[in-house]
Amino acid sequence: MTETLLELDDIRMNFGAVQALKGISFTVKRGEVIALLGDNGAGKSTLVKIISGGLTQTSGRMTFDGEPYAPRSPSEAKAQGIETVYQDLSLCTNVDVVANFFMGRELTRNFLGLKLLDERAMEEHTARAMREAGTRIPSLRTNVEHLSGGQRQAIELNRFVHWGGKLVLLDEPFAALGVEQTRRGLEMIRRVAAQGIGVIIITHIMQQALEVADRIVVIRQGVVAGDVRARETSADSVIAMITGQSAAEAGQAVDA
Amino acid sequence: MSPGQRRTLEFVLDNLVWFILVIVLAIFSAFVPNYFQPQIFINIIEQSTVLGVMSIGLAIVIIAGHMDLSVESVAALSAMVTGILFASAGIGQDLPLSPAWLKVPVSIIAGLAVGGLIGWLNGILVVKVKLDAFIVTLAAFIWVRGTVVALSGGRSAQSLAPEIRWFAIQRVFGLPLSAYIAILCFVVFSVMMMKTRFGRHLKLIGGNETAAFRAGIKVNRVLVTAFIMSGMIAALAGWLLAIRTSGATANLGIGMLFQAFAAVVIGGVSLKGGIGGVPGVYAGVLLLSSINTAINLLHLPAEYTQVIQGLLVLAAVLLDTMKHSIRKRLA
Repeated sequence: MTETLLELDDIRMNFGAVQALKGISFTVKRGEVIALLGDNGAGKSTLVKIISGGLTQTSGRMTFDGEPYAPRSPSEAKAQGIETVYQDLSLCTNVDVVANFFMGRELTRNFLGLKLLDERAMEEHTARAMREAGTRIPSLRTNVEHLSGGQRQAIELNRFVHWGGKLVLLDEPFAALGVEQTRRGLEMIRRVAAQGIGVIIITHIMQQALEVADRIVVIRQGVVAGDVRARETSADSVIAMITGQSAAEAGQAVDA
Repeated sequence: MSPGQRRTLEFVLDNLVWFILVIVLAIFSAFVPNYFQPQIFINIIEQSTVLGVMSIGLAIVIIAGHMDLSVESVAALSAMVTGILFASAGIGQDLPLSPAWLKVPVSIIAGLAVGGLIGWLNGILVVKVKLDAFIVTLAAFIWVRGTVVALSGGRSAQSLAPEIRWFAIQRVFGLPLSAYIAILCFVVFSVMMMKTRFGRHLKLIGGNETAAFRAGIKVNRVLVTAFIMSGMIAALAGWLLAIRTSGATANLGIGMLFQAFAAVVIGGVSLKGGIGGVPGVYAGVLLLSSINTAINLLHLPAEYTQVIQGLLVLAAVLLDTMKHSIRKRLA
């Protein structure tokens, strides 16, 4: 599978006088896992927000699935098949697991011409998705506020696996997870990619990036400082790219 | 704590107001002379009509994580519009319509239009201009009341058209039709909040607006709709108030905002947003009416009503905080 899924072309973002992104270009292929690395403030989260429709870039173009792509809101991005998991969890703790799983996509059934929520169907779907992912949650009707950090993360990850789409953005998805749950999460990412879904994962942990990604893209001070195959590089050379030391020995560059 | 005990405790916390209502009614029935009789209970329901309807709109906006302080003034304006159009004495213009029953839909639509417009303006200022809902609706609370005073010149409209008054006079099983309108509103909006996507989205937005936005919910549109609804519901409350008092005065309904606020909070709607439901609010309104009735029957001076209601608001907010910390400990 070599087909390009997402292409970023000279994406720039200014916040007033601050240039957060100064011309970012790279591509994501179908079924490819890209690890997006960079120091704090390098512009990774800004880039993710632009791709997911939460922010609109100052200039530059995106092409998604062969079409010009300019989402004006997360719902438009979702409608085109781009799912996002944010580092601060996007769960509503005041409602139960089922309501969170189906947030914004609630199923309804007809009752005397009224469209009422179909709670039973939603619970069945959620139960199946959780079971398939090997996540155990005591009751799907518990409010999320009563669940642990790991369980919450599992809901988010299962949500993106279930709804799939064509491209998944993960903004530090394992920040709150233990070792075992992280391992399962990384497996989940490989499984998703194997289905032909593109994945962009932001992480600070080099080991995770090298383990799960096909390619590593490093952003430094708003520009792409390196774009290398994960197999052909080492932790040291990636760190050199992140901190801005010579990239000469950072491994072979990939033709964009 | 076993899961069963925990579930029981959560059920009690979620429905606390109903337990309080039953206990309070039992205590009053036992200790207040003449309290325990059907007519008293019918009166309690009847007295809950206007306040009940008004509280629904307020509750919806608070569940969505915002605030609408304008409901009282909007109700007064709607009542004044109805009074000016179809009352025959004072500043009432006694607009002739034939057939005369048209006065009912015309007065309702006029009121709802005014209420919806004010709600829309509130919503736009909160959502688009990003002003704080508390300040926006506090301003509306003041300027809408000012409009009522200006519109009436401080005078009143009396003798509302009998076609409209009919809803307050015609009784079925002891209750006037207006009380059934309030009960119907509670049923309709309870179903809306619990069983429709719109209601679910309101609750999600109240819980975590960012998450709801990221999940693709059109947060702005839902919130503006909630403010419009609140305005229209307040306007319906005003219409019911006009037919109960057979007209409108410039200071009609003053003080109801805080009663509605008390009812909503006592009813289990958290000021933090995302928690509570419409049925509890009805229990909250019934509880306030029950206490008022007891005060009347005990022949306490009316001033005490206000003192007790103020303390009730305080108690309700304390209760809200207490429930919050119990829930935290449950987690």
